[in-house]
Amino acid sequence: MEILLQLVVSGIALGMIYAVIAFGYQLTFATSGTLNFGQGEALMLGALVGLSLVGTIHGGPYLGYWLMIPIVVAFGALQGVFVEWIAVRPAIRIKSEFGWIMSTIALAIIFKNVAENIWGKDVLPFPSPLSSEPFTVLGANVQPMQVAVIVGALAIMFAVEIFNRKSIYGKAVVATANDRDAAGLMGINTGMVITFSYALSSATAAFAGALIAPLTLTSATMGASLGLKAFAVAIIGGLTSGMGAIVGGIILGIAETATGFYLSTGYKEVPGLVLLLLVLAVKPSGLFGKAAIKKV
Amino acid sequence: MNFKMKALVAGVVLGFSMSGMAAEPIKIGVSGPFTGGSAPMGVSMRDGVRLAVSEINAKGGVLGRKIELVERDDEAKNERGVQVAQELINKERVVATVGYINTGVALASQRFYQQAKIPVMNNVATGSIVTKQFANQPENYIFRNSANDTIQSAMIVEEAIGRRGFKKPAILADSTNYGQLGREDLEKVLDKKGVKPVVVEKYNIGDVDMTAQLLRAKQAGADVVLTYGIGPELAQIANGMQKLGWKVPIVGSWTLAMANFIDNAGKNGDGTRMPQTFIQNPDTPKRKAFIDAYVKAYNPPGGRMPSAVSAAQGYDSVYLLAAAIQQAGSTEGPKIAAALEDLKTPVEGVVTTYNKPYTHTDHEAINFENTKFGEVKDGRVVQAK
Repeated sequence: MEILLQLVVSGIALGMIYAVIAFGYQLTFATSGTLNFGQGEALMLGALVGLSLVGTIHGGPYLGYWLMIPIVVAFGALQGVFVEWIAVRPAIRIKSEFGWIMSTIALAIIFKNVAENIWGKDVLPFPSPLSSEPFTVLGANVQPMQVAVIVGALAIMFAVEIFNRKSIYGKAVVATANDRDAAGLMGINTGMVITFSYALSSATAAFAGALIAPLTLTSATMGASLGLKAFAVAIIGGLTSGMGAIVGGIILGIAETATGFYLSTGYKEVPGLVLLLLVLAVKPSGLFGKAAIKKV
Repeated sequence: MNFKMKALVAGVVLGFSMSGMAAEPIKIGVSGPFTGGSAPMGVSMRDGVRLAVSEINAKGGVLGRKIELVERDDEAKNERGVQVAQELINKERVVATVGYINTGVALASQRFYQQAKIPVMNNVATGSIVTKQFANQPENYIFRNSANDTIQSAMIVEEAIGRRGFKKPAILADSTNYGQLGREDLEKVLDKKGVKPVVVEKYNIGDVDMTAQLLRAKQAGADVVLTYGIGPELAQIANGMQKLGWKVPIVGSWTLAMANFIDNAGKNGDGTRMPQTFIQNPDTPKRKAFIDAYVKAYNPPGGRMPSAVSAAQGYDSVYLLAAAIQQAGSTEGPKIAAALEDLKTPVEGVVTTYNKPYTHTDHEAINFENTKFGEVKDGRVVQAK
């Protein structure tokens, strides 16, 4: 029982990382029907920019951990605007169905290369703001930072949801998400809303990067595999549901740790991907997704 | 221009080109990962090689010729290593190559040198079969001056089971050639001691969560963790153990001395032990001179060499090779290899003094006598007591 609990706790902490990134995918998909395949790189850049501020690598530390977070979030937002401007807007303007796929992947590779040149290719430790001593809950060991990841991830997702439901700007986002053309006719600047959703999506990823970096390690290559797993989570949970990201992330995280323990660590990644295939076969819109009606 | 003048010009030009021919540098290839997770080893090795070459060139070079290095980044990738090997052999026409950090890259690449009859000095890669890949051929061009995994696995097991008396080892090895060949070696030695590992676990390069592997080891009642992997993931193991509140000693291959293990594991890495051929400890004048020169030339953070073993072995590999070229009086591969197999004068290196290091059948320069145990202590590797 203790073992199972331990696996679940570690799985949830891992899954919440996937969930925040998956949430970022959903934000842009909802408003523009496009995804940023560089979402993992947005996370990586957030973590590395954070490291430059709080670590000892570029003559720092310049700031405390908690002061660094808003700067990283602002950086992430700018980075998202940049991605939308360079890679997505041209594709939307010419009504290209798939141009944004290649251009966001291209930008992701460019970001990774730039990061490798600024921060090097080595893996760097990230100073932890909280004690790394674990405490025990019902026999399972939990690190304070793992709790911070879970709480932080949930907090940012709820903040975005509340913003979308309560504020007038959020309503513009929701309107654009429901029907971009109608929203445009109603006087909503949908182009602005899409840019904003990209800013928000990269900001959440950058925040996630700064949050998880003390647990994982930081490097220019950290984004690639996390971004891919999170994409699987977004598909499993459904690209239109915030709840889906959380549940999908937790499912994948627990599936990975549990398979590693009960079956074999060599097959750790398999069940998540099998689940992905199953969802695609049985309920293509995802566990929580709304079926999309494609107008021809 | 009159005839005399022409003759003079022609004579000068001819003279220059002839002296140019005589002093044409000896090209030596350097292949190693200078980027990625293995980079601390590759870069340290390269820096050690450069130090040795600049010293040798300052003293007039070998056979009156300067040594010129042709460095290539193999990125720890097998396919890239193969490209590098072909380029160094066919385009750069090197007379020998030093390097190889990654066992897999060495195994994939060195066949081209074997075919071209050009010697390779493996100065870091430790897989037991690296020098035996062509042992059945009449001439073997693969030499090594690092502590191979047969030595290391025996030492690891002796330290954990023999000296410290642990009875239930868990093996954690990464899924690369290096990790899996090392795991086989460990299992063989354990088997000879009549000990069976309680669990044998695998993980991938880049894994950020080791909970499953470590829980299995903990549940099986392991009292020591034996590792075969490289820095970043080894750090995840040490950190993961702390996450689980499980503390048993880690004993593993020499890579536990890498700066990216020590830094990323922090205090969780303290007490970790690994076999080392070289520790950054100026206990002889030769070693002091080497360490001072290295720190002065490359100015590593905190004055700590990122991978002291790689640097020292890289440095020694050049001196061994230079001695062989000098003795052979030639830069032809077969003659260099023959000279290496029968070195007349001892070569003083920083790891040890090599007295007849190689024979026709034995291409390993390092043995049990010149390998000791290092221990991580306060962010540095010190000699284990």
